Amino acid sequence: MTLTIVSLLPRLQNTNGDAENARVLATRARWAGLDATVVEVETAEQLPQRVDAIVLGSGSDSSLDESRELLLTMHDEFRRWGTEGVPILSIGTGWELLSWGIELASGRSIEGLGILPGRAVPRANRVTGDVVVKSPRFGVLVGFENHARDYVGAEASPLGRLRAGHGNGRDSGQEGAVMGDVYGTHLHGPVLAKNPEFADRLLETMATRAGLEYMPGARAQTVDAYASAARAAQLTAAGVSIPEA
Amino acid sequence: MRYAPAILVGRLTRFAARLRKPGGGSAVPGLIVNRIAPKYLKRTLSGFPQGLVVVSGSSGKSTTTKMLVAILRAHDVDVFTNPSTANISQGLTSALLEQADWRGRVPGDVAVLEMDEGHGALVMQGVDARVVCLTNVMVDQIDRFHDSEMVASMLARIAARAGESIVVNADDAYLERLAARVRPGVAVHRFGVTDAVFAASPRGLGYTQTSDARLSSGTDVLVQTVDGASAVLDDAGASVSIGLPARGVHYAVDAAAAYATAKAVLGERFSSSTAADALSAIPAVFGRGERTTVRGQDVEFVLVQNPSSYQLNVDSIAPGTEQILFAIGSDVRDPSYFWPTDAASLERVSIVTGSKSAEAALMLAYDGVEIDRVEPDLGSALDDFLAMPAPASGVKTIVFTADAMRRTRTHLGLAGAE
Repeated sequence: MTLTIVSLLPRLQNTNGDAENARVLATRARWAGLDATVVEVETAEQLPQRVDAIVLGSGSDSSLDESRELLLTMHDEFRRWGTEGVPILSIGTGWELLSWGIELASGRSIEGLGILPGRAVPRANRVTGDVVVKSPRFGVLVGFENHARDYVGAEASPLGRLRAGHGNGRDSGQEGAVMGDVYGTHLHGPVLAKNPEFADRLLETMATRAGLEYMPGARAQTVDAYASAARAAQLTAAGVSIPEA
Repeated sequence: MRYAPAILVGRLTRFAARLRKPGGGSAVPGLIVNRIAPKYLKRTLSGFPQGLVVVSGSSGKSTTTKMLVAILRAHDVDVFTNPSTANISQGLTSALLEQADWRGRVPGDVAVLEMDEGHGALVMQGVDARVVCLTNVMVDQIDRFHDSEMVASMLARIAARAGESIVVNADDAYLERLAARVRPGVAVHRFGVTDAVFAASPRGLGYTQTSDARLSSGTDVLVQTVDGASAVLDDAGASVSIGLPARGVHYAVDAAAAYATAKAVLGERFSSSTAADALSAIPAVFGRGERTTVRGQDVEFVLVQNPSSYQLNVDSIAPGTEQILFAIGSDVRDPSYFWPTDAASLERVSIVTGSKSAEAALMLAYDGVEIDRVEPDLGSALDDFLAMPAPASGVKTIVFTADAMRRTRTHLGLAGAE
């Protein structure tokens, strides 16, 4: 039994290394003694038979239309994965494309796939920097954000409350959107490596669905100590003091 | 006479700065002259008898500029150029002041400037260039530029200042799109690599978007073959053998860029053999695969500036190299964009250090690299690394970012600090 993690549209949607979160999941699964593989999928034909998790990263605005066209060819699968509880992690513009829609600064709108509630709306200036989120499911999440749009309409189901950074913006004090096991976040880059608790919760869900048991491996302890040091440095940079468990 | 008072003030400021920091350069005189004589920079840059040549792009602009200057000087052209650290407005004015007479005039037939892709668009407002050379668009310093389109649009604004020609990397799809939009009367010259060279780079050339097809031999300057630190260029069908300052396809591409730009600048006066000799005589660059002896130990220094140079350089470290020090400094604010790289071939790293050591260790660990120690303090890490007995195989290898490189130089008291 091999856990299959799909890295979706890595050619267009890997600007900040977000797609590497698929590798983080597979690596942690292997450290736990489970078989796991990452399958890169650029078109619907390349989808594997079995899908245990999906990672969809962020791209640039010029590829929004192209990525949307490609995602639309997998619209039915997305609905099915969402209903069946397959974990889907979407980041930045990948998340925006799974929403109800994206409003561009030009006034044009792009219709999303409607998998996650809410829509992306333009903001006056791009925001970049450290983000700290207190999440009821995953504890304290730490990462970087870099986006030119806010996100509205997910007020009832955010990923968590902001301790630092802009997150969904519009004075919501919130970051991200969650619907079942579908996640949308502005936290780009290796968010699952930096937040092992988040990664392990996704892996537990995947394992349970597959009739397996997930217990973090010994190697994960060593590596999570690096994550812990990186988190501490970033919390300091963000001016947030939270005692780490 | 117009600028004499401003120049005098600039000179005095420079004198004062030198008293404070002997031997050091400073951007302060430039800052002051820009304030009291805001048009000095634009007028001076536009005033060279054989015009202004600008080199910009995400990566390779320093090397390309050095190579271009060497080729032009070998053709007996009197060149004014800026040190690579002075590629933004204040630094540029300071560099001009270094050479200026009391009226502010700078000697030279032609000016060749390396231009920061971010500040260049601003500096170039109202400045007329003859030729603009663009190297590539890469994802680099992402928290400054955010995305490739922003870099491309800033390069387009620099290119728009070219009155005679632009010289572009034909393998970079962003630059090819930019070249399609030059105004009438501005010539487009191209450089690139052949299909064979491209095929021999399994990870590609690192451009954000690579053009669909390579140039074919005939009118442009192509990198025909690369073998270690030597290469053969194809200049409109004729083969030209050159030496490179270090091994690597990207140096050959820089050489092709400099060669093509020199051709555009010199026209009939250009000699391919003079250009080849000048390119081959360029000394190795510090930090680029340079080997030196420090505290009695052979050490190889490897500078990484962006994900593509990181990948190229990591790939070039011999498998089984026993002792590697990894130093990632505060110049990499968010290392996320380095994650698509793969350092698995290193297998083991002795020490990971620098202000981003924890982030770097995390990334290396997910590549499957074993890490013996994480030591955030660069000084202690360097001392301990150099104190380790010489490795049984390979040479002590230090991989660093630009900020960590400067701190390493200072800590080890190495010459040539910028």
